[in-house]
Amino acid sequence: MAYSLSLSLLYLGFLCGNGLVSARGSELFVPDPNRGPHFTGCRSREQETFRCWWSAGTFQNLTEPGALRVFYQTKNALSTSEWQECPDYTRTVENECYFNKTFTHIWISYCVHLRSVPQNITYDENCFTVENIVHPDPPIGLNWTLLNASRSGLHFDILVRWAPPPSADVQMGWMKLMYQVQYRVRNTSQWEMLDLVSGTEQSIYGLLSDKEYEVCVRCTMSAFKNFGEFSDSIIVHVAQIPSKESTFPMTLVLIFGVIGVMILLVLLIFSQQQSRLMVIFLPPIPAPKIKGIDPELLKNGKLDQLNSLLSSQDIFKPDFNHEDLWVEFIQLDIDDPAEKIDGSDTQHLLGLSRSGSSRVLNFKSDDDSGRASCYDPEIPDPEDMASLLPGHSGWGEQHPLVSRSSSSIPDLGVQQTSEVVETPVQTQPAVPSWVNMDFYAQVSDFTPAGGVVLSPGQLNGSPEKKKEEENEKKIQFQLLSDGAYTSENTARQLSADVPPSPGPEQGYQSFPSVAVEGNLWNGEYLVCASDSQTPYLLPEAPPVPILPPVSDYTVVQEVDAQHSFLLNPPSSQPTVCSHSPNKHLPAMPTMPMGYLTPDLLGNLTP
Amino acid sequence: MNRVKVLQVWLCFVSLWLSRVSHAAPLDCKDETGSLTHCTSISQEKLLDRVIQHAELIYRVSEESCTLFEEMFVPYPLYTLRNQGGNMCHSKPFPIPSSKSEIQQISDKWLLHSVLILVQSWMEPLSYLQTTLDRYDDAPDALLNKTKWVYEKLLSLEQGVVVLIRKMLDEGMLSSSSVIEHTLAPYDGQSPEVLESVLRDYNLLTCFKKDAHKMETFLKLLKCRQSSKLRCLSH
Repeated sequence: MAYSLSLSLLYLGFLCGNGLVSARGSELFVPDPNRGPHFTGCRSREQETFRCWWSAGTFQNLTEPGALRVFYQTKNALSTSEWQECPDYTRTVENECYFNKTFTHIWISYCVHLRSVPQNITYDENCFTVENIVHPDPPIGLNWTLLNASRSGLHFDILVRWAPPPSADVQMGWMKLMYQVQYRVRNTSQWEMLDLVSGTEQSIYGLLSDKEYEVCVRCTMSAFKNFGEFSDSIIVHVAQIPSKESTFPMTLVLIFGVIGVMILLVLLIFSQQQSRLMVIFLPPIPAPKIKGIDPELLKNGKLDQLNSLLSSQDIFKPDFNHEDLWVEFIQLDIDDPAEKIDGSDTQHLLGLSRSGSSRVLNFKSDDDSGRASCYDPEIPDPEDMASLLPGHSGWGEQHPLVSRSSSSIPDLGVQQTSEVVETPVQTQPAVPSWVNMDFYAQVSDFTPAGGVVLSPGQLNGSPEKKKEEENEKKIQFQLLSDGAYTSENTARQLSADVPPSPGPEQGYQSFPSVAVEGNLWNGEYLVCASDSQTPYLLPEAPPVPILPPVSDYTVVQEVDAQHSFLLNPPSSQPTVCSHSPNKHLPAMPTMPMGYLTPDLLGNLTP
Repeated sequence: MNRVKVLQVWLCFVSLWLSRVSHAAPLDCKDETGSLTHCTSISQEKLLDRVIQHAELIYRVSEESCTLFEEMFVPYPLYTLRNQGGNMCHSKPFPIPSSKSEIQQISDKWLLHSVLILVQSWMEPLSYLQTTLDRYDDAPDALLNKTKWVYEKLLSLEQGVVVLIRKMLDEGMLSSSSVIEHTLAPYDGQSPEVLESVLRDYNLLTCFKKDAHKMETFLKLLKCRQSSKLRCLSH
């Protein structure tokens, strides 16, 4: 209760009273002319003594010394002292009351009164504790040193040092001081204030050369806000050092730069003009190249040139063996006189074959026989081919019977011995030997030596005499058809239905095949039926003066004792095969397409 | 029967004495495993420096708390109360020197004991202050945090001073903080925004600031004496 009462009284007193003194800087020392007698301030410099000042104010009659007196009272938690008068009125200074060390107590509340004793009026009151009114003296010994200067010489940093005020007992720890530095350009109004520091030095950065700066410092007690006065200013000035060295490297750099650029330009110009240099710096990229072939020709050359060019390349040369074989055949045929004598058509054949072979050679030199499908310009004209073959018609441009290997070409050609005949049959089971031929020629005659006479579409009656001998023989043979494959049944039907005439409209003749077991080879069976037609000419058959146009295929009629084929398109087909009704054709074993092996031949021939 | 009673009473006294001892016992060091080990020793100078640092920090934070409270709750005309320095602070059991000359005259023992008593006297009021400050509606967090921090630091300061006393004065401490009587009025349920409670709390803060200053000053003087007695006394 008493506590709260005292508090409220205190509050009221402050609200109503005139003695509201706030310790704010130098305003304390300016007396208010409109007021009556009042305290202008109380201050302590070192927390050991303090002073109070007052002013008479408007009351001019109280300006005499002694008219106004100061009384003070100390209060702490325990007790309140009596009012005592100012222990020392300073003689030298007007209206000042000085409290020395004896009378100064910290952590204790003081109240001072300004009274006029005769009237017993208290004009002003001021309560405080000493540590709250401490305003330390300014620091002393302010000086500065240059820390460093920038490269350009325009800016510099300094270190400012000072000493604490001698009145403040910092060593003992009685007072702990914090310092604040401020600076400005001389003769300007704006001060730059730096932060509080606890030490006695401070760095200032970024000052401009050729300018004068004012620097000063002040201090305060730690954790208090009562600053002392600023110290005296010091002038800081750093003259700009005209560094010639800074310009020196710049000029050098410029000179070297210009020289370098010029050298580069000269090099460029020279390199443009001299290709050697260009080659050194920029070697050309090698273009793809084939040995011996000019790439320009490939772009612009004509086809035959290209052909000759390519043909000269090793990779395109065919196997020489085949060519030699072919040449051998040709040579043999040419040299053998018997054939020349006997075969009126031999020359024809040879010439034909020669021409054909030569043509073939040409073609062979280009590529293997697969070119029939690939090299269209190189394939001999179908018309040309047709001219080679007698009565050939209806050929397609590509003959599927063209074999892949050129070695089989001579097989169909001139053959001298039966062995020769056989070998092609043996060696190429998959493909009929004479299929490799690009063209076909009708075999019109057999020479005694066993050669086959090919005629360009004409038939002689000479084979007739052969047929007499082989009336009894029935042959089964197979021919590869032209792509229109039929099964054996169909072949039978066909042969039954269609008279076995070498009709030009048919590219082949088909005969019913008998006892071809299980052979689903898609080929035409040119078979001489057992009981039915035997496709051979009867000796009494009149020679056909005008042979029908040569078909695509030539039918092998018989195989004579010499194991040579008789190829003759039988004109009177229906009767042909009726001669040997009783003869039963031996069962044809499963054969590879289109070939008769010697074993089979042995079976067939009686 | 009587013997048993006497024995019991004696045992009680002994246990009380022991508990008293343990109440103000210095720190026990614990290593990582948690078992009590011998504390690593620290020199007296270093310990005194650390104690002084503690006191300085406490003083600075208390001043900041006072300013915060003043800005927030105290009406402007009453700022001068600060200059008064809280003459309503609770009293101490023995007179504390108030002037420099007086302080220079007292012994080291008195200095340390004064510091200890000061520290111990503020334990309870600070905890009370924490609770009251929490009741303010818009008390800034900084103020609350500072108060808490100060309380914790005060505890460690007490422990440091106890060790110092033991080392410098070679005597053990038996006093406890319950010796000091507090004149603080208990919380009477008033709303904290009333001027009276505001002023009361403000007074508390001011008083604490003053006492913190005292602690710092005493400890610094003690340090000065440790280094050079002549210099400190001659001023």
